[in-house]
Amino acid sequence: MSLPRTYRALGLTLRKTPMGEADLVATIYTGEHGKLPVRARAARRLSSKLMGHLEPLTLLELALTRSRTPDTPDLVTEAQVVHAFPAVKTGYDRTARGLYVAELLDAFCPLAAPNPPLFNLAIQTLHLLNDDVDSELPLRYFDLQLLNLSGFLPELYQCVACGDALLPERHRYAAGAGGALCPDCAPPPDVVVRPLSLGALKVLRLLHRTPSAGELPSQFLPPPVQREVRGILSATLQYWIDRPVQSQVFLDAAQSHETRNPFR
Amino acid sequence: MLPDPTPGTTLSLSRLIDELHRLPGIGPKSAQRIAYHITQIPVEDARALADAIIAVKDSILFCDECRNLTDASPCPICANPQRNRDQICVVEESRDLVALERTRSYRGLYHVLHGALSPLNGIGPEDIHLPQLFQRLQEPDDGNPLRELIVATNPTLEGDATADFINRRLAGRGIRITRLALGLPVGGSLEFADETTLSRALAGRSPLE
Repeated sequence: MSLPRTYRALGLTLRKTPMGEADLVATIYTGEHGKLPVRARAARRLSSKLMGHLEPLTLLELALTRSRTPDTPDLVTEAQVVHAFPAVKTGYDRTARGLYVAELLDAFCPLAAPNPPLFNLAIQTLHLLNDDVDSELPLRYFDLQLLNLSGFLPELYQCVACGDALLPERHRYAAGAGGALCPDCAPPPDVVVRPLSLGALKVLRLLHRTPSAGELPSQFLPPPVQREVRGILSATLQYWIDRPVQSQVFLDAAQSHETRNPFR
Repeated sequence: MLPDPTPGTTLSLSRLIDELHRLPGIGPKSAQRIAYHITQIPVEDARALADAIIAVKDSILFCDECRNLTDASPCPICANPQRNRDQICVVEESRDLVALERTRSYRGLYHVLHGALSPLNGIGPEDIHLPQLFQRLQEPDDGNPLRELIVATNPTLEGDATADFINRRLAGRGIRITRLALGLPVGGSLEFADETTLSRALAGRSPLE
C-alpha cells in the first residue's frame, strides 16, 4: 500500500538553508519520522505565509506533501508554531547553547530514523534552557542521554579493558576505548586517555540514572568537577562525530574575544 | 585533472558548467542552460562578461572606514561631507547597505560586517568585520562623537546573536544603540504571521499620530 500523499508532523527546526531565489530547505527533527529535510517554497519572501516559521529552535506543527521524486525534500504546505523558545533566542550565548542541542541532534541522527525518546529529550532540554535555569547540568544530561539513546553510551560501571567493576577511587577515561578504565589496566594503543576523578564519575553515573532532566538535583557543581565532566562528554561527542561541536567552538571564541578585548 | 565530459558535451563546456554550478543559487540545470546560452552569444559579449568578472576581482577593495566594497578608499559614502558622521548603521552585507540607501531615509554612515555570528557554522567575532567596528568606535571622528549606532542585522537567529554581541560589548559606553523595528511587513496579514513576529510587533507598537 502506498503512503498517503500528505501527512502532518510535530518537529523541531534544526537548521535552515536558503535555496534558489526565495526557497528554504530546513532540517526538521520529529519524533514520529526522525530527521527530515523539507522544502518551503518562497518562504524567504516577506509576503510568504511561511515567513518566520522555520527559524531554527522552533517547535512546529507541519503539514507536508511527499515529494514525487526520491531524494528530494518533502514540501511544507502549512506551518504552525507550537513553541518558539523565545528566551533561548535572547542572547548570543543562550542562542549558542540552544543551537548546541540542534547541532548534536543533526550530527547524531540519521535521516528518517525515528527516535521518540530522543525527540522528547531535546524538547525537554530546550524548555529548561528557555526557563532560565542554570544550563550546565541540563546540557550535560542532554550530552549523556543523547549518547545513551543513540547507542553510544560510554561504559561507566566496569573497566573497558578487564571488565572488573570500577571501585570508588581515581580512574581514567578513554572515549576511543568506550569508557572508563581501572588504574591498573593498560589502555589500547593510540587511544587518548584522560584522568577521571571519583567526583566526575559519580556525576556521570547520576546523569545516566536520572530518568529526566527535570529531576536533576539543583545543587551547584564545583567548577573543577563541572569542567571535568564537560571535558569528558565533549571528548566523547567529538570522538563519535569526528569533528568539534561548532556551537561550542563559537561560544568559546565569542567569550574569549570579550575577555581578550576589553573595551577601553 | 578534469573528469571526462558528459557524453554529448565538450571538455570546455563541461568546465564552464562546472564553474557556473559553483555559484550561489545556480543548480546543475541552470548552469547547463547558461553555459549553452554563452555558446550562442557573440564572442565580444562573452569576452565582456569575462572581463567584467576579472575587473571586479582586480579593482574591488574594502573601504578602510566602513568595510564596504569600493573602488577607492574611503568609499563615496564615507568621503561625503554631507553625511551625518554621528550615526553609524551596522549591516551584514553590502547588498543590505544598497537596500537601505534605496530608501533615501538614512543620511548617516555605515559599517559592513560581511557576515553574522553563526554558532552552527562556528563563525565567531574574529571571522567577520566586528573587531574593525570596535576599533573604529575607539577612534572617534574629531568633533563628531558617535551619537547613535543602528544595528540593522537581519531578524534571524544569527542576526539577533550579532546584535546582542554588539550591544553587550558597547554597554555603558554612552552610545545610543538601536535596532531596526521588527514586526509585520507592509501588505502582510496578521493571520499568517508567526508568533515571534507578532510578539515583536506588539512589543514595538507605536502611537498613532
